[in-house]
Amino acid sequence: MDIPLLSLMIFTPLAGMVFLMFLKQEQVKIIRYSSAAFSFIPLVLSFLMLGEYDWTTSQLQFVEKAIWIPSLSVNYSLGADGLSVPMLFLTALLSFISIVASFGISHRVKEYFAFFLLLEVGMMGVFAALDFFLFYVFWEVMLVPMYFLIGIWGGPRKIYAAIKFFLYTLFGSIFMLVGILLLYFNTEPHTLDIMELIKMGPAFGKDLQIMVWAFFFIAFAIKVPVFPFHTWLPDAHVEAPTAVSVILAGVLLKMGTYGILRISFPMLPFGTNYFSLLLAVLGVIGIIYGALVSMAQKDLKKLVAYSSVSHMGYCLLGMSVFFVGADGKAFITGLSGCVFQMFSHGLITGALFLLVGVLYDRAHTREIEAFGGLWTKIPVYGSLMTFFAMASLGLPGLSGFISEFLVFVGGFARYPVLTGIAVIGVVLTAGYMLRMVQKMFLGQFNVRWEGLTEINAREIFTIAPLAILTLAVGIYPKPLANLMAATLENIVTLVNR
Amino acid sequence: MLSETASLVFWVIAFVTIISAIFVVSLRNIFHSALFLVLCLFSVAGVFVLLDAEFLAGVQVLIYVGGVAILMIFAVMLTSRMTNSEVRQQNEQKALGALVAFSFLLIVTGAILKTMSVKGGFGLSPSPSVTISTPHAIGRLLLTNFVLPFELVSVLLLVALIGAVVLAKKDGD
Amino acid sequence: MEFPQIDYVAILPEIIICGLALLIMLFAAFLPRDRRWITGHIAWFGIIVASFAVWMNWGTDTRTFAGMYSIDLFSSVLKLIFLLGSLLVVFMSENYIRLHKLEAGEYYALIIFSLFGMMMMASAADLVVFFVGLEIMSVALYVLAGFRRSDPKSNESSLKYFLLGAFATGFIVLGIAFVFGAVGTTSIAQMFDPQQYTLANSFFYLMVGGGLLLIGLAFKLASFPFHMWVPDVYEGAPTAVTAFMSSGPKAAAIAVLARVFVVAFGQHITQLSPMFWSLSVLTMFTGNLIAISQTNIKRMLAYSSIAHAGYMLIAFATGTAEAVNSVVFYLLTYTVMNLGAFMVLLVVEGKEDGDNEITSFTGLGRRHPFLGAAMTLFLISLAGIPPTAGFAGKFFLFKAAVAKGQIPLVVIAVINSLISVYYYLRVVVVMFMIDTQTEFRPVSYPAFLYVALVVAVLGTIVLGVFPTSFFPFDIPLLASGR
Repeated sequence: MDIPLLSLMIFTPLAGMVFLMFLKQEQVKIIRYSSAAFSFIPLVLSFLMLGEYDWTTSQLQFVEKAIWIPSLSVNYSLGADGLSVPMLFLTALLSFISIVASFGISHRVKEYFAFFLLLEVGMMGVFAALDFFLFYVFWEVMLVPMYFLIGIWGGPRKIYAAIKFFLYTLFGSIFMLVGILLLYFNTEPHTLDIMELIKMGPAFGKDLQIMVWAFFFIAFAIKVPVFPFHTWLPDAHVEAPTAVSVILAGVLLKMGTYGILRISFPMLPFGTNYFSLLLAVLGVIGIIYGALVSMAQKDLKKLVAYSSVSHMGYCLLGMSVFFVGADGKAFITGLSGCVFQMFSHGLITGALFLLVGVLYDRAHTREIEAFGGLWTKIPVYGSLMTFFAMASLGLPGLSGFISEFLVFVGGFARYPVLTGIAVIGVVLTAGYMLRMVQKMFLGQFNVRWEGLTEINAREIFTIAPLAILTLAVGIYPKPLANLMAATLENIVTLVNR
Repeated sequence: MLSETASLVFWVIAFVTIISAIFVVSLRNIFHSALFLVLCLFSVAGVFVLLDAEFLAGVQVLIYVGGVAILMIFAVMLTSRMTNSEVRQQNEQKALGALVAFSFLLIVTGAILKTMSVKGGFGLSPSPSVTISTPHAIGRLLLTNFVLPFELVSVLLLVALIGAVVLAKKDGD
Repeated sequence: MEFPQIDYVAILPEIIICGLALLIMLFAAFLPRDRRWITGHIAWFGIIVASFAVWMNWGTDTRTFAGMYSIDLFSSVLKLIFLLGSLLVVFMSENYIRLHKLEAGEYYALIIFSLFGMMMMASAADLVVFFVGLEIMSVALYVLAGFRRSDPKSNESSLKYFLLGAFATGFIVLGIAFVFGAVGTTSIAQMFDPQQYTLANSFFYLMVGGGLLLIGLAFKLASFPFHMWVPDVYEGAPTAVTAFMSSGPKAAAIAVLARVFVVAFGQHITQLSPMFWSLSVLTMFTGNLIAISQTNIKRMLAYSSIAHAGYMLIAFATGTAEAVNSVVFYLLTYTVMNLGAFMVLLVVEGKEDGDNEITSFTGLGRRHPFLGAAMTLFLISLAGIPPTAGFAGKFFLFKAAVAKGQIPLVVIAVINSLISVYYYLRVVVVMFMIDTQTEFRPVSYPAFLYVALVVAVLGTIVLGVFPTSFFPFDIPLLASGR
């Protein structure tokens, strides 16, 4: 590859942001379409990347490296493998969709799209960075636009939610910073190159590994969010505007699990083994707790938000199982389940938030109880909602099923009891999702919604790709499985060093 | 070491210094306080003489007695209200202040005693053999090795002068 | 005893700056009242010339004035930081002076004199020189704090600063006396020459001296427990002077701390480390926790400057040359971002001064996006979020501390920067997120202030993204040669 694909994907939105600054606040149309265009370019590039990617190897591809801060041996170094390629694609897709879905924003349009593009820069950067310093910078860069997006365009308690989000995430990431420094000083020569650090992984002392793993875990767990750190999520999700919720659920939460898989796992093998049971336990707690709380929700958006806590629990359970079998083959079922879940949760929950937004734009309420029998009035919307609810509860044939199935198969290999408890989560999920569908779309039609209009073409345009991908991955998961297999095998081998 | 007489003189001077210092901070008439300050500063000059630091003694008298203390007395006398009035010299934080002052005294005394009790005391010779008089030596030093601080002090005085003019002049001048 | 050799080329920057101050006084005396603003232009031009002189001397490594004055990379870097800070302050002041009808000539002369004092402190290789430099800097600042003579708050500020500052000065002199008593020299370079004194005899004595010096310097640095004056003085002083006060003297105090405690007391830094450790922690918490409850932006920035003093002290708890280098870089970033925040404050407060409530920023981000964005940048930089200068500064500092095993201290510092985010973001909330019916009043962009603002914005970004390109991180702490 001659063109710096990853750099282009990261910095095209930045160029878009600069471009927006030269436009006038009143040129709303130009602002909307140009930001859509600037976020469409990374999507096209990500297709190119998917095409170019050689999935037979776990080698990093599309590598770029340039010296940045020599005295710290910090490099501008990017690369992608089977773990980051699906995430980069998901980010590009969801960013584009969210920007199109935000065309309805009419308040301070220019700033909104500028922040959105900056957010995309940060997200792309996190998934492509191979240098710790760079990773950390992107990780934090993303915070600021997110803070503004929630704080300016959010709901009634937006300021509270924005600050809570910011402080929580920052709290985690500063621990990551300390962890990074600790690793830096325990290498000789000092390096911040993630790949170099992975090579040195087993050489780190046991106490150091445990400490640094815990530091990193705080940072990543807050992002995921893992059970005791999850309280920022419902606030942020509920107050954020629709498109921002999509990004939050679709991409930001994945950064946590991505970080664990990319950094903690291969870099700190002892720490990972030491804490693997904790991962599984926290995962199961998340699954059950998230599902139970979802059942109690009256607000549709809160329900989806808490279902994220539950669904991300599957990721944790899946990733907690890793071993090299007696035949010398790495056991990657659990890890595949985790990555599948990351991908499909991004699609499904993204779509669910979009759909919630569609309804809220028209009805100005999200009370589940307030609706009823909507199917007769807006059948297309109803079927889309039902489709994604089914996908979320793991209906076979849709992507959610694949991931949950893989997680359970993987989980049984090591933690049969815990996995058994986790299966209850599926039942609970089915419970609240079906109850939601039933209360909103079936039953007596509430005449209050006589004037409700059907979902429009633009909204369908934003949701359709997600539906198609959900179906495609559910029916034929092989390409995605192939894409990640080599990388995950490599990760499992590295953890078991 | 000091001779017998000198030692006696030292104790007398020290006594006078401390007593007058106590009067400075305890008398209610502020004018009397100022006068005792003059006495206190004078006695300190006496200590300097005993230590063969004639120049320092001279400076002490010139600047502190002749300058600072006299200025204070002027200020007290010019503000007629204060000349005869009785003022309280203490406030509600006196206990705390006494504690801080006392602990500082302890630290300093401790430092001195600890240093004295060590064999050999200071690394410096206790009384440097001075062949020329102290004003002469200090003058030489100020114009050779210490010429930089000496010159800088003039800048400092200039700044203080400008500052005083800025703060004191009338508006519109 | 011969008259010492003086290297006039090496001290050219100081000569220029001192001459500049005198020149300004002279011009002010002969210019008619309504033309005295010209002195401002002389001031910034002179500062730039002096910066060139420093740049010309880059790499000079010598001591002059009988070893009392050290011109080396360390002092050159610090001088450039002082010069940059003063340049920005001069740019900021131009409009302020016009609005508030202050005496331009005296104002600029005092700023330049204060700068001169700082430069002396940065180069001092002898405690006496350091002391006189400190006094030149301080006396000028005492007067500047009270420059708005008709404003009682400004008077209060000046008097408070003067009284407490004089008190701190007393400690410094006493400290120098003790140190001299213990080691028999005031020269920083000779202080720990084993031939010069027998340490075993006077160690306690020396430590008392060091402690007294530290008290005096902690006052100038605004470190706990000598921080009480900061909010009142900052609030009352003219805003441009507050900006100057919050960056320059801090940097000068850090320079002296580095010379005295890391170079001269170098052998004992491990014994001193716990003291700096606790000072640092207490200062950080005091600054950050009290800042949360402030409603006046000047007071908030005052407490934030206390907190930053706490971060800077980490370098001395660490006590390595690397840590000192990082703290000098930190000073550079702090100067840029802190002055930037004050510039926005200057624009916002405009003529109707006195009300510097945070709420006065309401709606700024909507009406004046550039100002709002710049302020946001400075605030997130102060909070230490990448990719801004503040983050780079903290990163290098924490890195140096972790290298020496100060992990708990770094964790505490990191928690503190988290606390600080809360109050910095409050300003951002007010600027962008509160919907008001009333539009923010129009503001004027005075040309010079605007230039300074652009410099600060660029500095904050560039220092954050390319920290090592503009800053040497391997500065020796004292000139090696004589």
